Amino acid sequence: MNSLSEAPKAEAITVVLLEDDAPTLWRLQDALTKAGYQVKAAGTLAEARACLAQGAPKVLLTDLQLPDGHGVDLIRETRRRFPDTEIMVISILGDEESVISAITVGATGYLLKDAFPTDIAATVRDLVAGHSPISASIARFIVRRTQSTPEPPPGPALNTTKLTPREIDILWGIAKGFSYAEIASHLGLSRQTVPGHIKNIYRKLEVHTRGEAVFEAVQQGLIKL
Amino acid sequence: MNDHADDAQPDLPGRERRRLQSSRLIQYLLLQAVIAGACVVALLQSLPGPPAQYRMSALQLTDAGIERAVTLPYFSPRRDAMNDPPRFSGQFVRPAGEATRPWSVFLPRFTNGVEVTVNDVVILDSRRDPAANRPDRNTPAIAVIPASVLRDGDNVISIRLFIWGPITGFLDRIWVGPDELLRPSYDLRTLVFVTLPVVFSSWQAILAVILGIMWVMRRHEPAYGVLAAAMAVGVGQAFLQTPMGETPFSKLNVILISSAPIESALVLTFALLFSGWKWQRYGWILFIPGVLLALAGLFGNQAMVRALFLILAVPMVGISLVIMAIVTARSALKRQNVAGLLLGCAVTIMLTCWIADLLSVFQMTPNRIFTARLSYSAMLVAIGAGLTWRFARALNQVDGFAGRLVTQVREAEEKLKASFAREEERARAAALARERTRLMRDLHDGLGGQLVSIVALSERGNGSAGIGDAARAALKDLRLVIDSMDDIGGDLMLALGSWRERAMAQLRPHDIALDWRAVTPQGLPVHPELRPWHVIQIVRLLDEAVTNAVKHANAKRITVRIETLAGADGLERGCITVEDDGKGFEITSDGAAAGAIKAARGLRNMRSRAARCGAELVLSSCAQGADQGTRVKLTLPHRFPDSEGAAG
Repeated sequence: MNSLSEAPKAEAITVVLLEDDAPTLWRLQDALTKAGYQVKAAGTLAEARACLAQGAPKVLLTDLQLPDGHGVDLIRETRRRFPDTEIMVISILGDEESVISAITVGATGYLLKDAFPTDIAATVRDLVAGHSPISASIARFIVRRTQSTPEPPPGPALNTTKLTPREIDILWGIAKGFSYAEIASHLGLSRQTVPGHIKNIYRKLEVHTRGEAVFEAVQQGLIKL
Repeated sequence: MNDHADDAQPDLPGRERRRLQSSRLIQYLLLQAVIAGACVVALLQSLPGPPAQYRMSALQLTDAGIERAVTLPYFSPRRDAMNDPPRFSGQFVRPAGEATRPWSVFLPRFTNGVEVTVNDVVILDSRRDPAANRPDRNTPAIAVIPASVLRDGDNVISIRLFIWGPITGFLDRIWVGPDELLRPSYDLRTLVFVTLPVVFSSWQAILAVILGIMWVMRRHEPAYGVLAAAMAVGVGQAFLQTPMGETPFSKLNVILISSAPIESALVLTFALLFSGWKWQRYGWILFIPGVLLALAGLFGNQAMVRALFLILAVPMVGISLVIMAIVTARSALKRQNVAGLLLGCAVTIMLTCWIADLLSVFQMTPNRIFTARLSYSAMLVAIGAGLTWRFARALNQVDGFAGRLVTQVREAEEKLKASFAREEERARAAALARERTRLMRDLHDGLGGQLVSIVALSERGNGSAGIGDAARAALKDLRLVIDSMDDIGGDLMLALGSWRERAMAQLRPHDIALDWRAVTPQGLPVHPELRPWHVIQIVRLLDEAVTNAVKHANAKRITVRIETLAGADGLERGCITVEDDGKGFEITSDGAAAGAIKAARGLRNMRSRAARCGAELVLSSCAQGADQGTRVKLTLPHRFPDSEGAAG
């Protein structure tokens, strides 16, 4: 973790950071800049869009409640325009409602606003390396939604029908606090594949991607293949 | 009645079914043939008569001025008027010394009426007894000859035979002798041909009432109503007696005479309905003979009615019987039910008797005993038995149905209870989740954001680390409160999963490693009775243990062991152990820490939290050596207490 600050800066990773609370914005920006990221800070959706207009960043970090709109719209737009950009939502409590609603439009991770600076940098680095962070409560929330109930529980809607039994097992393991290593050994997987599975899960939950649109169109008979 | 469930094996292949049907038909026909044969044998039996020495067979007949010798039994030609009846006369001898014994004249059978005169004194006139005048009844007659009339030696007896159509006159052999010798034979005939029909008619009256009630209660089964009507007509015909001759009441006779075809039409209608036939408009055809007969009686004269009776009523009865035989046979074969079979046998008996009667009317048998009416009792018995059979079967079905119903209701009740409990649980969970979502949103929008700002601000200005720590602790506690409201379904592992993440975040800046070990694959047992407040107590207790290790023990590694242990009582208990490799502390004799007051308070807190959850807490600490460090071992109860007060 300490080695992060000494990471090669040759390929500077570009980050667009959108946060309306000024102290929090400074804090996050400091943590990322110190870790060697190239950060473009924005306080409103408009500013963030202006930053994005200049080209695709590697990472988009965004809050959800913003003075001129909702971060979910920006995540959706960014996912559509820049499929390779990693998108992460900044959350105060890591609560399912905000995190899941971001996931469904294309976010692949979340970051707690009060996380320690080193953790902030590490989380973004892991995300760029292809690992999506997931908390026990998010995992629990997702697997709960795979169990069909007559009355839909409160919270954002989630399309969990595409998850495989193995992915659900992984989510259960995370929800119960097992480490990736323990989950891998219980399920007979390689330890390295577990983070990949989690990213897959995030991608499957995303409902408004282009692929999803095509699928929906075929389902509705609008397009014939 | 139309329960086609009675149809036997409806899904057999066609050839197999036809074979089965034809074998059943043969069996049925054989049975009917046996019954008909038995009837014929029974009909051929003549009733025992008085001693032959008192029988008079040879008499002189004076008819229309011509006198000739005849032998009884004698069929007289048909007549339509009662004036100038044929007169039979003969002589009998009463031996001397018999004066003290009463003598009688016994006439076992005659049609239609007789007047018996002994030595020019009339001793019997059957016309005064309407029952004896009815040709369809086999009423015998006996008359004691007054002692003053009778004399020793030769006596003269003369019998006038009154005949009215439509059938021919008939006089059976007569007996004249001591009353004590004749009477048993008379009594036997009275029993068979008078008393027994009355018994049957009473039975018919009862049936009429039963069937009538049945029809009233079950209007959708008109067969019962029709049969009740038939029975009522029969009862009326049997018990209503009207004087002979052209009296104002004689019109009532018409109804009685036309009752036979009407009754047979009603019984036939019943048989058709019973075998599943739907009432059609042309069904009224069946009633035409009866109605015609009634009209003839009302608007014509008695002679006309009598003439029509032979043409309309008798064939109608026969046709009805034949159709009924076919219909009941079909029904009995198709449905294989007892009621149909009984009815079929009864129809066979009636048909046989009807044919015998017809032969008698046309003088093809040497006797005139009409048995059709008597054989009708077979039908009554069949109907009674069939009704009882159906009633018993229906009761059995009701019993079975009720039994099934009770079982089903019980099952449904249990399912309902289970589903209600599930529903309640789900409603509770949903309410909790809603509340949690609301709380989370409120905290997220308000307190949470402010705390984050405080954290950020405290980091910018140096020297206010305390503020940041406090704000971070507040956020941590917020997350704990929110998490504890989640419905974890009694699986404490789900709460520990979130706690692990928070502990990791807490330990990382202090460079303390968290070694998390779920020793048993399932981790901890599931506790359905687990409530959020239990979870908060346990998680805060664990927080306290970790915080102590961070703040006071100077530890490098904290190990959390999660396992399920089998207790001494064989029950499984969850066990969570938090162990550090720090400097440890001395524990005083009363279990409190000997060190700082703050640490002591923390330990006291942990103990009270454990007690509230009914958990067992064991603290051990070692200040130096290989086992250096502190160990907090929390053994969960097998069942969490319902309320905080319940725990010791």
